[in-house]
Amino acid sequence: MTVHEGFGNRALLWIIAILGLLVIYAPPLYLLAISFNPALQPSLPSLSALSLDWYMALPREKALIGALQQSLLIAFATAVFATALSLLAALAYVELRFGRTSWFLLVLLPMFVPGVVQGLALSAVFSRLGVKASMITLISGHLLWAMPFAFIVILTSFAAVRQNFLLAAADLGANRWRQFVDVTLPLIRPGLVSAFIFSFLLSLNEFTRAFYLSGRQNTLPVVLFSKMNSGASPVIYAMSGAIFIASVLMVAALALYNLLGRRAPVLEAQ
Amino acid sequence: MAIAIDIQSVTRAYGPIKALDGIDLAIKAGEFFTLLGSSGCGKSTLLKLIGGFDRPTKGRILFEGRDVIDVPANKRPVNTVFQNLALFPHMTVAENIGYGLKLRGLSGAALKAKVEDALDLVELPGFGPRGIAMMSGGQRQRVALARALVMEPGILLLDEPLTGLDERLRQQMRDEFGRLHRRTGATFILVTHNQDEALSLSDRMAIMHQGRIEQLDVPAQFFARPANSFVAGFVGIDTLLKPERIEQHSDGLRAVIGGQSLRLRSPMGSLGDDSLVAIRPDRLRISESLDGADLVLTVVGTTFRGLQTDVHLAFADGQSLVAVVSSDSPSATLAHGARVPLSLLPDAAMLLSGLGMPPAA
Repeated sequence: MTVHEGFGNRALLWIIAILGLLVIYAPPLYLLAISFNPALQPSLPSLSALSLDWYMALPREKALIGALQQSLLIAFATAVFATALSLLAALAYVELRFGRTSWFLLVLLPMFVPGVVQGLALSAVFSRLGVKASMITLISGHLLWAMPFAFIVILTSFAAVRQNFLLAAADLGANRWRQFVDVTLPLIRPGLVSAFIFSFLLSLNEFTRAFYLSGRQNTLPVVLFSKMNSGASPVIYAMSGAIFIASVLMVAALALYNLLGRRAPVLEAQ
Repeated sequence: MAIAIDIQSVTRAYGPIKALDGIDLAIKAGEFFTLLGSSGCGKSTLLKLIGGFDRPTKGRILFEGRDVIDVPANKRPVNTVFQNLALFPHMTVAENIGYGLKLRGLSGAALKAKVEDALDLVELPGFGPRGIAMMSGGQRQRVALARALVMEPGILLLDEPLTGLDERLRQQMRDEFGRLHRRTGATFILVTHNQDEALSLSDRMAIMHQGRIEQLDVPAQFFARPANSFVAGFVGIDTLLKPERIEQHSDGLRAVIGGQSLRLRSPMGSLGDDSLVAIRPDRLRISESLDGADLVLTVVGTTFRGLQTDVHLAFADGQSLVAVVSSDSPSATLAHGARVPLSLLPDAAMLLSGLGMPPAA
């Protein structure tokens, strides 16, 4: 047991923490609350008037549903490619002796390019090459956005793969491929799952690049934005609320997976 | 089948630094061989070369006369117990032990039977389904041994396998290595910095220093005839004295230290000016009277060691040696400054070429 600080200090720390969380979570929660208000004007509902009207209306909004389908498809493709490519990039990083830092920064750099710049640059290059804006162009844009995050997540999970485990596998007769499949892959699995989910969510919620790069069918964030500007019905709040809830559930599922999937303190004493 | 290893002028250089410098070494099939040395002496590098985890810069390594330099680790008839064991954390005890057999294509009942035999061999029956994290340090050691031995290797490499275990477990595992060596008949190669381990287990051993082998012999010879002062220091003959001069007498060589002359056993090989006199503490006796004493020294301190007590004795020039006496003998309580007569058994003092002292363990 450590000796606790005075009550005053602890209270102050709690107040700062709660204020911080409030600033982060109040706006989306406010939006969520609005989505349960049956009134046309966006405001907090009274408890007696909570309703799912706008959610019931969602399936009839063809434009929103189409955008959602498109977004999910792009998010899935982005997640698959981002995870696979980041795994390869991380493997390269592990194998590299010299130039590790350069490689790390090189893969990470797109993260620091503003979305507006990247979207504009990509759309300029694509139009120059005569490539029409489509799902493919958007996926490539989202790949640039999601990959640095996926790379960091996977790289972190590589800490579990000790060089000695691979040597031991080789000692027991495993070639490089079997070492990868039997030792590396199971040990980094939590990283791969996290990277997939992160990439999926990053793509699903991305606006700026999608604004430049989507083809005939816009993604959900883009459609929501335009609808908001044209003063559309509160259905968009229901859609936002649904996305928010889905995102929270996915992150919660990930946390649960990591919590349950972790086998006792495996790395201790190794 | 035990495998004989022939290492021929092997050098492993990392840039300008030679981790191994022209090693020649023949290890017999079925032998328990130990590479002894302090960290950085090249012993682990040599083990890596035998295991196939590294390539020599120069030289050849033969298994039963066949050059294996180009054979990768996963195709050599060698298995290793790694320094930090390297048990797979995502597999159970049984999966760890069965991994190599699975790669060989074994499955089902045959695999299960072999794994169970291996668990019996290391006295861990029934531990198969457990996770590695649930095993104690000593049990993990046994799992690592079982994982290597289940492959029925011709050569078993043990890379400092007892590091990190407490003294009682070390003792226990040491006995285990001896038992498993007799049981399997494989060639065992142990790498260690602990001379007790090396002395108690080895058929033969090599003391390494700066990428070279200083002495290669059966354990007893390291005491009877240490090759140089480094080797003597490493096996625990820590009294090394600088003589004023060496004299040739009718009864052999004598060294003069602090004005007193003592008989030397004839030296091995050629000796330079840097020769040192090594004195075996077990060949010194504190005598009753000054008559016929070989040396008369001054007590400068005693160290109680339980059953035995070290008596530190100094020459006139300040150099000192240690005599080991029983703790209940009167000598154990000699006062500081007392003059003590000593008699030397034959072979107590030998002249060695100076190679400095090994770093304190």
